[in-house]
Amino acid sequence: MKRRQGWLFFIIFLLTLAIYLLINYPLQLGLDLRGGSQLTLQLIKEEGKVSKDELEAVKAVLDKRVNNLGVSESNLQTLGRDQLILELPGEQNPLVASRVLGKTALLEFRTQKIGTNSELKKLQLQRFKINDLIEEYTLLEQNKIVDDFNNINSLLNDIQLTLNYSSTSQDLFGKLIDTKLFINNQIANLFIKTDLSGKDLINAGRRQEQSNNNWEVLLTFSNEGGEKFAEITKSIAGSQQLLAIILDGESISEASVGSQFSNTGITGGLATISGNFSAEDARELEVQLKGGSLPLPIEIVETNTIGALLGSKNIIKSLYAAISGLIVVGIFMILNYRILGFVSVISLIFYGLFNLALYSLIPVTVTLPGISGLILSIGMAVDANILIFERIREELKRGNTLIRSIDSGFQRANSSIIDGHITTFVSCFVLFLLGTNFVKGFAATLGIGVAISLFTSLNCSKTILKFLTTYQSLRERNLYLKKESFL
Amino acid sequence: MNFFNLNLIKNKNKVFSFSLFLISFSLVGILYSTFNTTYKMPINLGMDFIGGNELRIERVCENECSNISPDKVVENLRKVSNNKNLVNNIKLQFQNDYKLISIRTPYLKIEESNNLINNLETVIGPLNDDSKNTRLIGPRLGKKLLLNSITSLLVSLFAISLYITIRFDRKYAFFALIALFHDLFIVFGIFSWLGILLSIEVNSLFAVSLLTIAGYSVNDTVVIFDRIRENLKLKETEYNETIQISINESFRRTIFTSITTLIPLLTLILFGSYSLFWFSISLSLGIIVGSYSSILLAPSFLLEIKN
Repeated sequence: MKRRQGWLFFIIFLLTLAIYLLINYPLQLGLDLRGGSQLTLQLIKEEGKVSKDELEAVKAVLDKRVNNLGVSESNLQTLGRDQLILELPGEQNPLVASRVLGKTALLEFRTQKIGTNSELKKLQLQRFKINDLIEEYTLLEQNKIVDDFNNINSLLNDIQLTLNYSSTSQDLFGKLIDTKLFINNQIANLFIKTDLSGKDLINAGRRQEQSNNNWEVLLTFSNEGGEKFAEITKSIAGSQQLLAIILDGESISEASVGSQFSNTGITGGLATISGNFSAEDARELEVQLKGGSLPLPIEIVETNTIGALLGSKNIIKSLYAAISGLIVVGIFMILNYRILGFVSVISLIFYGLFNLALYSLIPVTVTLPGISGLILSIGMAVDANILIFERIREELKRGNTLIRSIDSGFQRANSSIIDGHITTFVSCFVLFLLGTNFVKGFAATLGIGVAISLFTSLNCSKTILKFLTTYQSLRERNLYLKKESFL
Repeated sequence: MNFFNLNLIKNKNKVFSFSLFLISFSLVGILYSTFNTTYKMPINLGMDFIGGNELRIERVCENECSNISPDKVVENLRKVSNNKNLVNNIKLQFQNDYKLISIRTPYLKIEESNNLINNLETVIGPLNDDSKNTRLIGPRLGKKLLLNSITSLLVSLFAISLYITIRFDRKYAFFALIALFHDLFIVFGIFSWLGILLSIEVNSLFAVSLLTIAGYSVNDTVVIFDRIRENLKLKETEYNETIQISINESFRRTIFTSITTLIPLLTLILFGSYSLFWFSISLSLGIIVGSYSSILLAPSFLLEIKN
């Protein structure tokens, strides 16, 4: 009896601790409960596996980009060996993030190959035309005028014919963008690489051009980068050769260097890129350049967006399900096992509290699948109680005393309970190791539930029952054994 | 003393026939699904596994939402959107008195998905962005998820088998595992049929439910086998008789634990979020089949051997 009293105090201590934890460290809710977007980014490597260093390097670059984007409370984590997860809580549109993060942003400075002038002029003219078409298309699209697309289509066909190119996209806009990309790639091929690249930048900024509404991006080179830039500009100053700024293999701007720079090149370590940028374009480029280029390309393989309203609805629905589940199970237990049922209800409440407290302690982010794991584990926690209570009833029916029945009931149900918990735990463990983020939430809560249930069903129930049986009035056999049970 | 008295010795063949029927039923579903459907798979794989775009959003209506036929919406979208590949593959549904609209398309980029929503607004009026739920899964990830789910299933089945073999002697372990595969096969088969008849798709949560059922089913069988072993040690009655008594002794317990697990699942089905609906259904099915196989099927195997 003394030992039991020790347990009683221990359980009361744990309960106080659990309540303290829950009050002071609120639960972390997943995006499916509070609304927000989640992007899964996959690192692409054609040959071999992605190494840990590469994953970390990509994450470092993306971290910088996310910070510069100014999204609040965002969270970037690695997932497995070759994936990253970005969470954007609230109403933030994943569109901008996906555009900024998805690009490799490899910045190069190239000088023009000699004797390619006529070729370049031809391509630049086509680019000018295609930009016009894109602008026209956007305007029509905004005003929902659909019939005029035929005109754009035929002009596009002319351009593609001149270039001897046909795009793979199905829709008109895709075709326009494809063609523009093709032209920019072709232009980039007319230029030769130099040793100056995005690595030589120490900062990037943007400003509005004075002459028109377009934006330009300002580059600040490191000392060494500034010297390289001066060297390059010096070599082509006053000549026919142009300097191109290439981003991810696409030429975004070509410029000549005036003959006044032929002695020293352009010094000062500053340069601007002006390529008809809109305010948004300029900002995105700025963020990408500040973060540096990605060591490996990435692809956005999954996007989940859940509105805030839907999130709060999900919380309410889950609460309804959990609470009504608990109540009905409680009623079922009390009807069938009377005072024993009452004991199981109390230990179930403890069980719920311990679970939630552990979530806030570890911490476990509570998601919808996580809640279903918890609700399911309620059923399993009751399982253990039923096993024990059935044994107690059998012992009582055999004519054993109450105290002896309780003791041997707990003892004899022990091995079955442990077996059952272990098989479930094995499933959870595998799920947690191999599962996706979504599945991990379920595995974690079910696994934790199974572990806690071992404690509450074996120890808490026993302690509460022992405590209750110290009262003479609660030792009536009728309170434990119904004369007629419905099964 | 017991209110039920199952005579398993006498009804053994009925149990076997019933299980045989369930298995053939599932097998037919799986075969039909593999050869006679558009997707040519044993089960209708959802967008988690093949990639795609899913959008659910509520309309903003003053009183009642006007009813529009889904075909008409798609027809109108064709006028607004130039992406023929997209518009030709849209599956569109209205729910809750035309308030909730759900759309499935092949995989789209985020930009395209955004365009789709904008286009939709021009066709059916304002939408409530706050109630939006979109999921885009690229085909590359889908393959990975499928592979992942299959590996998890195999690994944990192997781990459970290993545990059971160590824990019991080989005969018991073997029959517990047969019961387990019986349960999983039947749940799988039922979902094959649901795919054929109601176009229900399975996603990663379905794989999770199979894993959970595996743990649960073995657990149930272990409890009954434990009881049989315990009673056999006492040697009070003849072998077959002992098995029958053990089943009847654990019958109440097995039914009760199944009920207490089914109750929370039922509340999840009734009140929970729609994304957990089919997950809860498959778990419930697994628990029902699992209880049946632990009480009736697995012990019947033990009877057979003695005869």
